[in-house]
Amino acid sequence: MNNEWTRVTREEMTGSEATRKSLTYWQDVWRRLRQNVMAMTGLIMIITISLLAIFGPMFSDFSYSDQVLAYANIPPRIEVTKITDDHYVYVHNEFRLIEVTADGELIGIPEEIEKNTINRYITYNIGGNEVKFDYSSAMASTGKKGSTATEEVSNKMIDKYEIYVNGSPIDKYNAKEVSNKTYFLGTDNLGRDVWTRVLYGARISLTVGLVASIVNVFIGVLYGGIAGYEGGKVDNIMMRIVDIINSVPLLLIVIMLMVVIEPGLKTIILTIGLVYWVGMARLVRGQVLSLKEQEFVLAARALGVSKGKIIVRHLIPNAIGPIVVSMMMAIPSAIFTESFLSFIGLGVSAPEASWGTLANDALGGIRSYPYQLVVPSIAIALTMFAFNFLGDGLRDALDPRLRK
Amino acid sequence: MASEYLVEVQGLKKYFTKTSGLFKKTEKHIKAVDNVSFGIRPGETLGLVGESGCGKSTTGRTILKLYEPTGGKLLYNGEDITHLNDKQMLPYRKRMQMIFQDPYASLNSRMTISDIIGEAIDTHNVASSTDEREHIIASLLQRVGLMKDHASRYPHEFSGGQRQRIGIARALAVNPEFIICDEPISALDVSIQAQVVNMLEEIQAETGMGYLFIAHDLSMVKHISNRIGVMYLGNLVEIGGSDDVYCEPAHPYTKALLSAIPIPDPTSEKSKSRIILQGDVPSPLNPPSGCRFRTRCQYCMERCSVEEPTLHTINGEHQVACHLYDK
Repeated sequence: MNNEWTRVTREEMTGSEATRKSLTYWQDVWRRLRQNVMAMTGLIMIITISLLAIFGPMFSDFSYSDQVLAYANIPPRIEVTKITDDHYVYVHNEFRLIEVTADGELIGIPEEIEKNTINRYITYNIGGNEVKFDYSSAMASTGKKGSTATEEVSNKMIDKYEIYVNGSPIDKYNAKEVSNKTYFLGTDNLGRDVWTRVLYGARISLTVGLVASIVNVFIGVLYGGIAGYEGGKVDNIMMRIVDIINSVPLLLIVIMLMVVIEPGLKTIILTIGLVYWVGMARLVRGQVLSLKEQEFVLAARALGVSKGKIIVRHLIPNAIGPIVVSMMMAIPSAIFTESFLSFIGLGVSAPEASWGTLANDALGGIRSYPYQLVVPSIAIALTMFAFNFLGDGLRDALDPRLRK
Repeated sequence: MASEYLVEVQGLKKYFTKTSGLFKKTEKHIKAVDNVSFGIRPGETLGLVGESGCGKSTTGRTILKLYEPTGGKLLYNGEDITHLNDKQMLPYRKRMQMIFQDPYASLNSRMTISDIIGEAIDTHNVASSTDEREHIIASLLQRVGLMKDHASRYPHEFSGGQRQRIGIARALAVNPEFIICDEPISALDVSIQAQVVNMLEEIQAETGMGYLFIAHDLSMVKHISNRIGVMYLGNLVEIGGSDDVYCEPAHPYTKALLSAIPIPDPTSEKSKSRIILQGDVPSPLNPPSGCRFRTRCQYCMERCSVEEPTLHTINGEHQVACHLYDK
């Protein structure tokens, strides 16, 4: 630097100008979404559920259709009763014994020596010991209901049986509750693993939710986009059709369609997709109606940009926020509809499982085996929760009014 | 057929229909533009002034066929373009462009600047290769006083004045011969207004384009225009050279408009007599019979309510639509 007072050239001035990397729209949305704890919780839950649905069944020891009738209706928590020093049994609610290990792994059905259904006892051979499982008191207590009014009738399983090992009774209260090591979430009424079936059900439910809402968005955006952009008579006729479809309860249409077409996964996706697009169409039409009067659309028209390009490049990208939010909200509603349809018997057919059919199957044994209903219900509830919170978060993140 | 004018409008009409009633449909017409005729020569700027809602912007948009004209003729270089369809219109869209009023609404916020300008280039195949396309975009940005690395940015990263420059660059991208400036400066700061107007003048001097300059800032219009047209309620009431209209306004409405310009001198401002118009602008749904200005005109005669005045030449190019000047 010989002379500190030389003129600064234009290149030097502009060259040193700090240029911030410009954020694209989606980077901006992601930045705002990340700050929303609830939305991120929802997103993480959705990713977890999706990963479990995709990869979970691969790591499971059982297939969704494997039946072991002997192991039917075993809950996730089992009471293990000690018979001898190294032999334990689980007393099944259906009055039979299942041999287990001390920490809750199922070994098998012990060898039956005698099964007396008149005097209500079963004799087993467990490790060389003669074990007599006497459940006559169960029937006795229910039979004598009227006469022993003073005596409280116990409904607890533990009061309904006695166990004799080699003729002498054991302390049946010496039992501890452990979790089922073989079937993590228990088994259903056909001895199928509930965990595997719920994971498998997640596959079907999520597929239905995702595909049906993509079909929704596709039809809705196209229909609403055309109606909104054309306006006038075309818009009038198209929206009256939407009104007519909307005035019939949508679920009714779905049910009728399901009855006409044979039930199955494809049919559910098709019917939900075909019926629920009306909301999306209305939303897109409204957006397009307000956007098409904006000057940037006029500018594009003044340039002679074609109709299709204006809709695809100008109108839909500007309406993408509400579309994405609405789609996020449509996914849980499609899952819910699918569950409902499966629940009333119009869904996927056995042995395939969706959360709805799982809940429906569990309904028969709801008093004795409530866990079978609880598991798919929680799965549905968690998924709905996750999608709704992500949808809410996205609405906030995509709303241009909140942009700073 | 050659013509003196680059763009000529003959008896242009644009009515918006308003239907009401469910079974007995009644149609009402909002006469936004009613029987307007003028022409713009190459290299000339025609300023169009008038109060809000008088149909200035509608006139501009109808010339570009953004609105379908209800009646009248649009001529470009003497060729009738009134009834061309979208496809036939395309070559004319390359020659006529528009700069919009609101720099915030006229740029699609989801597209980068290079996409916005590139759309114009792609639609009319101005560039033969992607390199040339980039080169054109860079030179356009430099032409309007922006830097070429602004091309990858989004509109929200620019100020109002910069956005308006981008809008101008978009209009220039197809090398038009005629640009409609629809209040290009009314949304800008006064300091920026001068910059943008000077830039528009420079561009005109370089390329010899014709401008239709729509505005309601009278002093700015006088500065930029060769000729000025004054509109009132869908009618062109006076048109003439900008000095003629300014110094010798003929129509009572023009007189009232001009008297509203503040003079930057307190003493002469005080002594100036301002013509204050009585009442509001009548509804364009049902405009007064005869002369549309008669409800607010201090010189209103009996004839005014019966007969609609037409444009009469009073002095050279200076034309006025008022019965006061009928001979």
